[in-house]
Amino acid sequence: MAFYWKLAWRNIFRNKRRTIIASVAIGIGLAALIFTDAVIIGMKDSLIRSTTASFLGEAQIHREGYRLSREVELTLKNPEAVLRQLAGDTSVAHFTPRTLAFGMLTSPANANSILLVGADPQSEPYLSQFDDALKHGEWLGTGERDLVIGSKLAETLEVTVGDRVVMTVAQVKGGDLSQEMFRVSGIYHFGIRELDGGMALIPLRKAQQMLGIGAAIHEIAIRFHDINDAENPDLPFWERYSVNGNEAAGWPRLMPEMKNVLELTNFSMYILAMILAGIVVFGIINTLFMSLYERMFEFGVLRAVGTRASGVRRLIVLEALALGIISVVVGVILGLGLTALVAHSGIDYRGIEMSGVHFQEIIYPVLRTMQFVKYPLWVIIFCTLVGLYPARVAGRMHIASALRKSL
Amino acid sequence: MNHKKFIVSTRNVTKTYYDNGVDVQAVRGIDLDIAPGEFTAIVGPSGSGKTTFLNIISGLDTPTNGEVLLEGKDLSAMRGRDLSDFRRDHIGFIFQAYNLVPVLRVEENIEYIMMLQGVSKEERHQRVMKILEEVGLSGMADRLPTKLSGGQQQRVAIARAMVSRPRLILADEPTANLDSKTGAGLLDMMRELNEKTGMTFLFSTHDNMIMERARRVITLKDGIIAEDERRD
Repeated sequence: MAFYWKLAWRNIFRNKRRTIIASVAIGIGLAALIFTDAVIIGMKDSLIRSTTASFLGEAQIHREGYRLSREVELTLKNPEAVLRQLAGDTSVAHFTPRTLAFGMLTSPANANSILLVGADPQSEPYLSQFDDALKHGEWLGTGERDLVIGSKLAETLEVTVGDRVVMTVAQVKGGDLSQEMFRVSGIYHFGIRELDGGMALIPLRKAQQMLGIGAAIHEIAIRFHDINDAENPDLPFWERYSVNGNEAAGWPRLMPEMKNVLELTNFSMYILAMILAGIVVFGIINTLFMSLYERMFEFGVLRAVGTRASGVRRLIVLEALALGIISVVVGVILGLGLTALVAHSGIDYRGIEMSGVHFQEIIYPVLRTMQFVKYPLWVIIFCTLVGLYPARVAGRMHIASALRKSL
Repeated sequence: MNHKKFIVSTRNVTKTYYDNGVDVQAVRGIDLDIAPGEFTAIVGPSGSGKTTFLNIISGLDTPTNGEVLLEGKDLSAMRGRDLSDFRRDHIGFIFQAYNLVPVLRVEENIEYIMMLQGVSKEERHQRVMKILEEVGLSGMADRLPTKLSGGQQQRVAIARAMVSRPRLILADEPTANLDSKTGAGLLDMMRELNEKTGMTFLFSTHDNMIMERARRVITLKDGIIAEDERRD
């Protein structure tokens, strides 16, 4: 075997130009695979962060049926107990209670329907980014009539920080209208239509009072210590909090469109892998067959002097393996260089929406060891497998025909 | 007849090709016995069937009919790896265009067959050095074939054919690509090796120099033996 391996390496370099062209072609394919994977990981992280960090949280707990119906009557069962349990849960980093109700916000200039969010001024900033996204004014403070709205809504209502607006909501029990005046304390801007144009945040206690629900809440948003927990369907957390008529769910269930986007990116990887497979198949087969037909007479000689068909087959497969290894070296260098280069500057997709999910950050490709182990291994294995075909052809050659011009 | 006393025995060997819709009878029933130690040339014009006949004798091609015995073994009964191993252990080949593996050094080219035979590295090296001395190429073991002249490459090819000590050497136009002086030198060397080692040499050739040195000349014409001249 050692001899055939030595011979295979030397044969590969007999036609340097052809070997370089084939290995660069395969290497570019591998580099593209590594780069795309790095971008997709970066994009996925960015999307998850954008989606979960802006408002959603990594997980939420609701009353059963609330997520589908959004009925304000469906408040959480035993909220105090749940909140106490969360406070002692080691997997949970932060959580915040919220009330959610549809209402009308009116200014002297205009009126707009909104989603009224009753937020805890202290814990909400750990779950959402409203405070970070503030362009004017301040986050909810101690004032019970503070109100934070998005830039688009402020534009529609023609209000700015310090202006007064009137909030109207229907009380949960009886449906009587409850109306209160608020002062715009802050205006945020996410660049996301739904958040900037259709949401208003007021202190939790004021919202509970307007809705007439006492200390009830509609949801608890949660952030885990490990961001991957939310994607784990077997996490004990879900069972632990999906009791007594409540239901806990991670972001993949809360935002299935996000899951679709990620599946789409995975599909893109498969497509790219298929293209790479095509490049490898044609690159290797073309190179090996050209080499094989050029050396048919030589193979005839080797067979004539006593090399078994299996020996010739082994030689061709080892040549394919050698070509695969060279291609992998080229691909890893190109992939590492390209990804490191782009990882430095990032890809700016901010503001672009994809299936309802917005990119809010610059995407930085993420390099993982796996990319330099799994994909190169695929290429090497695939090259070797592809080499079996020309090896089979070489092994079945008719020796006398190969030597037609000699013996 | 006792075939065992011959190194090559053929009986009524025929070979028919199907080429472009036409049956071509390349060999039409050849009976031939070659004794150990012979230095024999098979001659004949192009298309006379000598190449086909040698291919059949060496097991590189199969006869349509007839029997081929090499050292008493029926080649038609062998297939695949058995046939490869038989060729490896019993026949040395010398080709017209040297056909050394260009990426292997002289020593590696020569030891290749011994390596297939499982001969130890040490013994391979000793035998390569000895045969290189015999063919006049001492000191060239580390060279690549491309760094040798045509005559030197053919000497390496002869060394490769002989180093595994086969009893039969088949040579196809071994002097065709060489100038007459180099060719004559090589033939003299092969004749000397034949006399020294007792190896059987069977040539396929047009070359008068080979015919002059052969102790037996078999002339093929239209796939049959037209003349079998012994010069002992």
